[in-house]
Amino acid sequence: MKTALLNADKIRLDGRKLDELRPVKIEVGVIKNADGSARIEFGKNKIMAAVYGPKEVHPKHLTKPDRAIVKCRYHMTPFSTDTRKNPSFSRREIEISKVIRQALEPAIILEDYPRSSIEVYMEVLQSDGGSRCAALSAASVALADAGINMRDLVAGCAAGKIGGEIVLDIDDTEDKEGEADMPTGIMPSLGLVTLFQLDGNLSASEFQKTFDLAVNGCMKVYQIQREALMNKYFGQSEPMQESNE
Amino acid sequence: MSAVRKAVVVGTLRKSQMKEQLVKGKRLDGRDLLQQRNLSIELGVIEKASGSARVRLGDTEIVAGAKVETGRPFPDTPDQGLLIVTAEVLPIASAYAEPGPPNEEAIELARVSDRGIRESGMLDFSKLMIKKGEHVYSVFVDVAVLNDDGGLFDAASYAIVSALSTATRPNTELAEDGSLIVSDDTSDLDVKTLPIATTFAKIHGKIVFDPNTEEQAMMEARLTLVTDSEGKFVAGQKGGSGVFTYDEMKELARISAERGIEIRKAIRDTIDNGSQKT
Amino acid sequence: MSAVKRKYVVPGDLVAEGEFRPIGHVTQDGNKFLSTRVGMAEVGREGVRVIPLSGPYIPRIDDLVIGQVVDYSAFAWEVDINSPFFGVLPAQSVFGREYSPANESLSSRFAIGDHLTCKIMSFDRTRDPLVTVSGPGLGKVDEGEIVKISPTKVPRLIGKKGLMIKSIEAATNTRLAIGQNGIVVTIGPSAGVEMVRRAIRLIEEEAHLADLGSKVEALFTEAESGTN
Repeated sequence: MKTALLNADKIRLDGRKLDELRPVKIEVGVIKNADGSARIEFGKNKIMAAVYGPKEVHPKHLTKPDRAIVKCRYHMTPFSTDTRKNPSFSRREIEISKVIRQALEPAIILEDYPRSSIEVYMEVLQSDGGSRCAALSAASVALADAGINMRDLVAGCAAGKIGGEIVLDIDDTEDKEGEADMPTGIMPSLGLVTLFQLDGNLSASEFQKTFDLAVNGCMKVYQIQREALMNKYFGQSEPMQESNE
Repeated sequence: MSAVRKAVVVGTLRKSQMKEQLVKGKRLDGRDLLQQRNLSIELGVIEKASGSARVRLGDTEIVAGAKVETGRPFPDTPDQGLLIVTAEVLPIASAYAEPGPPNEEAIELARVSDRGIRESGMLDFSKLMIKKGEHVYSVFVDVAVLNDDGGLFDAASYAIVSALSTATRPNTELAEDGSLIVSDDTSDLDVKTLPIATTFAKIHGKIVFDPNTEEQAMMEARLTLVTDSEGKFVAGQKGGSGVFTYDEMKELARISAERGIEIRKAIRDTIDNGSQKT
Repeated sequence: MSAVKRKYVVPGDLVAEGEFRPIGHVTQDGNKFLSTRVGMAEVGREGVRVIPLSGPYIPRIDDLVIGQVVDYSAFAWEVDINSPFFGVLPAQSVFGREYSPANESLSSRFAIGDHLTCKIMSFDRTRDPLVTVSGPGLGKVDEGEIVKISPTKVPRLIGKKGLMIKSIEAATNTRLAIGQNGIVVTIGPSAGVEMVRRAIRLIEEEAHLADLGSKVEALFTEAESGTN
């Protein structure tokens, strides 16, 4: 027997409306040793992202003479899931690490850092559905914090289908019981898709609608990313405007 | 001994030729941008498998073998059968393939293939339960890439669909003491829908369908979309370090659904004709 | 008067649209200029640029940097210059052309852990930056304490025409050697060094704000009245 994911008024189990994002909180510069870092809370997801580099490449033979390489590791701690997760690196984590890497690479100006490696680590301390999008969003903020040249930030958010309705930002229960999940990542200023995955069941028109909603959600996450960076670096201050040159 | 080649290198001359051709709407192997390579499917190529198929997509060759066995369910799904999908690019498949555990490419291939089967509802896992919490059918699908000329997601999807559509499962009986008696008789596995993968690559801003290895080495980004028999989208995966515009995403969804219908029909015909296994 | 328009930006933010000369830390998309960093965007007659507030030190030829010896081979020292790239200090440039690893040991001159004031001789992205310790003011750091600041904020620590550094030195009774790579050697009484630390922390936090000079002054005045 499946739980009803929506009530009669189309309100979701956690009280959200169909197009409502879970509460998202981002904090910048939370890991002192890292060159850049961010903590994201995305619903019950709690994820730390840290960037080290640009730095020397190890092993050396991976070095690219004209650009940086990006190493990405998305990892879930054993206590992050309902039943304990096996601490060894799973196939799911390998795949997610890869898609996140390929979602960040278009944003990083790799040519500015030849012969170096940029290492991005994401540790999921608690997972709640949509953790790859949350991790991606945190990683992009951490890269900006590290002062690495980027074309744009990368914002991630999923949309999907539950109880026959297209909804924004699928959580854990909705992911397990729902009909479709479409994790999406975009470069918001440039309007380009850098991460896209889909599993579930969507008609052609639902596909379009879900995609639009996911992009919409990414834009909301993007605002929170911007605010977090602005807050860390500038607080409440206004830029000085007097001409001193 | 020849030098170790780390990755496919496309010559500069080839690259500029490819660019010239793409502008004209053509590809180096003579195809149109959205034209698929020749697809051929042979069924039942592995007698010891419960279902199998060899797919040739251009020069890419893949064998998928399904084994349906009985076993215990996972504790969190006591009333459902199991599905386990693996993929391996065998060392014989290209100069770049290496022996050893699957790399991230092979893992991605297996996981995207798995999602296609699982999310489409191709198999009804509740019907693969024999006794709740005790006995279920385990469906193992193993994909072996014998020659890699790109398009692995698509070729694997066709091979898997063909193998599962023609697969059988052993009949079983529960003994009085609750133990399972596995008979020599078999029944059809009973598939509900045919999930079909279509992969597109973006090269110099142009989109091509069914990229080969050379094109993959040149591509900025890749998009795989999987549709089921009703034309619904059941799986998707963007790959590569490039990007797609919002409009490209929607256009590719449209083309994917269209192509899915044609390819599904070809596979359906092969299965219907080939079911009198030789 | 050439008014300079300033605003705070993050990567991807629009800095300016139109005919401009890109000066630094912007990408161009048609006639749009987008920031590549978190920082302060400036649009003026000279062009558009973003002054970043974080980021690694990327070596430039003739930069004065302060580094730490982390390793050595028979022919060169490896110097950590707080950058993605290690500085290379060839033995010949210290011992002279006659240097032979058979006769001299590199550790007899500079040991692992030593701080060196050096100059970037060459750096072209194809190899690690070559540094030298030959020249006035260069060589081993014999005394002082190391204080770090973000490399992107070094210009504000130095100030216009070196005014900031002069006022800090005068107020704290210390001498500062500032590497472009964000490593600062402070020499002086420990109370003075502590004051320098606090001043640098303030500059670190408020580098994007105006009146940094008077804020640092205020910090010193406050400290003085506090101790007396």
